[in-house]
Amino acid sequence: MKFWEIGKRNLKEISRNPVLLGFLLGMPVAFMLVFIAAAGGAEASPIALSIVDEDRSQNSSAFIQYLGSVDAIELNEPLYSEESQAQEDLENGKISFYLLIPSGFQQAQQVHQPINLELVYKEADPMTGLQLKPIIEAVGSGFLGVAPPLNVELKGTASIIKNPAVNFYFPGIAVYGLMILIATAAEIIAGDREKGFLSRMFTTPARPSDFILGYSLPFIPVLIVSALVYLGVGMGLGLTIVGNLGHVFLIFFLIGLCAIGIGMIVGSLIKSESQAGISWLFIVPMAMISGAWFTVDRMPSAVRSVAEALPFIHAIDASRSVLNGASFSAIMLDTYWLIGWAVVLFATGIMLFRRTMVS
Amino acid sequence: MNAVQTFKLTKKFDSLVAVNGVDLEIKKGELFSLLGPNGAGKTTTIRMLCCLLKPTKGSASVLGYDVVKTPFAVKRLIGVSPQDTILSERLNCWENLALIGKVHGLSSSEVKRRSTELLETMGLMERSKDQVRKFSGGMKRRLSIAMALVSDPQVLFLDEPTLGLDPQARRAIWEYIAKLKGRKTILLTTHYMEEADSLSDRIGIIDEGRVVALGTAQELKTNLIGMRNMVVSTENLTAEVIADLHGKYSRVAVTKGQLKISHKDLDFKEIVDYLHSRGVAVYSAALDQPTLEDVFIQITGKKLRD
Repeated sequence: MKFWEIGKRNLKEISRNPVLLGFLLGMPVAFMLVFIAAAGGAEASPIALSIVDEDRSQNSSAFIQYLGSVDAIELNEPLYSEESQAQEDLENGKISFYLLIPSGFQQAQQVHQPINLELVYKEADPMTGLQLKPIIEAVGSGFLGVAPPLNVELKGTASIIKNPAVNFYFPGIAVYGLMILIATAAEIIAGDREKGFLSRMFTTPARPSDFILGYSLPFIPVLIVSALVYLGVGMGLGLTIVGNLGHVFLIFFLIGLCAIGIGMIVGSLIKSESQAGISWLFIVPMAMISGAWFTVDRMPSAVRSVAEALPFIHAIDASRSVLNGASFSAIMLDTYWLIGWAVVLFATGIMLFRRTMVS
Repeated sequence: MNAVQTFKLTKKFDSLVAVNGVDLEIKKGELFSLLGPNGAGKTTTIRMLCCLLKPTKGSASVLGYDVVKTPFAVKRLIGVSPQDTILSERLNCWENLALIGKVHGLSSSEVKRRSTELLETMGLMERSKDQVRKFSGGMKRRLSIAMALVSDPQVLFLDEPTLGLDPQARRAIWEYIAKLKGRKTILLTTHYMEEADSLSDRIGIIDEGRVVALGTAQELKTNLIGMRNMVVSTENLTAEVIADLHGKYSRVAVTKGQLKISHKDLDFKEIVDYLHSRGVAVYSAALDQPTLEDVFIQITGKKLRD
């Protein structure tokens, strides 16, 4: 059980380092507080929506009335009949969103042709616009009598979720928090090598497997505690867990393993503890393109493809979906993707760490 | 069987030959010092003996176990105190000692017994529950040596155990090492001649990766039999006078007005008279015995701290 002794030492080094713990636990919690506060506080308020009715038909009026009956939407009065007027008010900051019902709405509905509604929003506030889009889709589907499963599901959970902003931001910030394990693991391995502690330990009869386990296992309780703290803070801030909490935890656990694996890789490749800062060049851009803080819907397809190939976006999407009510079957592919990455990254980390020891 | 034996031990780093064909035989219970300047190859030799570096050529064994073929057998028998004081900074003394002891396979009770003994011997018991990052350099070094001893190793490697310590702390470490003499086989590296002189049974002088002299301190100095040193405090020493002295004596060195002359059958009066005759004011003059530094200079032509 030599690995156990090495692991115990590493766990003590982490738990007695307030700066490290502050980063691991404090930074994501601070992010949650700032982002969620900035997103509108604890209560979900209806989104003020203006309407441009170019069709001016019986059906368009009925649709507008139907929209007005939804709790999440507050219709602005009066209705616009010309888009140019709404556009002007949007540019002047008088309104934030408008929905354009094009002429031909009624006719298209009667002959079962596709109907293209246009939601226009302030560029500075894409978030609310994107929150509004699925609501309008769901309401539209309900009004038109078409009910794709996704829209029905969205409509169902929308009424349960106390604060959509919390449910949107929490998974991203939690995954970002777990990505900090990359820097932490890299810093500890590189630091011990730079200071000669690993060399000293290599003069003892401990085997390579003892070191590998001793340097990876201590991060697992850290990962579990971090995930629990994030969930606790999230729930305190109004996080609604519609789906299975165990599934959310599984996703966090898998992305945490990926982060530890990357940390071992970085820690084995860099020469000194100070170089562990390089990890941030990876962590922050990855968090951004994976939708930790912003939606990835409008990202260029090339960037989106890179994000899709990596594990983080899958962790964020999957945990976000489960929180909003998705079942395990809906996140199965994301989960397999994460398991695959965790195995690859951990194996690569072990291989490089072992190479460090041999050299 | 020797405790430590090397045969043509060589280590190259690209084109740099750090250790060049070193042959050593260290007997059981012997305290052997490798004395040499920085970069002479002392630490590289120890790192090969501790199985941290693979030799480029040659072989080495510890208590009969080859360091390349049976590294884990070697690691079970050795204790190492590295040159840099390497400790787990956020652990206390007990935890640091337990880490090394348990990795060597000692039971909890054995670790506790050994740790208590070592902490008392090293004078660390009072601060034993403090995190070691709060310790002074001397305390850290003492703990580092205790960590090397906690597994009760048969062979102890002490790499520059007093490097960077103040004279008082250095002297305290020397006392601890002296207590271990005869009980453990110790290979100590140092560039302090006084340390090697006072502690060692035998000394190997190493320079540019080669062992250039080997023997007891007395044996090494005996090679300089008849050689005497004269130290003269002067003023008005001219370049001409120094050049003249260089022509007459084996070794002449001048540092801040202090003249040091080494030569066989040195005539004290002759030198003082000569200096007076050349208008050099002599404030004091003394003869002393050769030191290991003198031995080193004679063999390598340079100072230990060059």
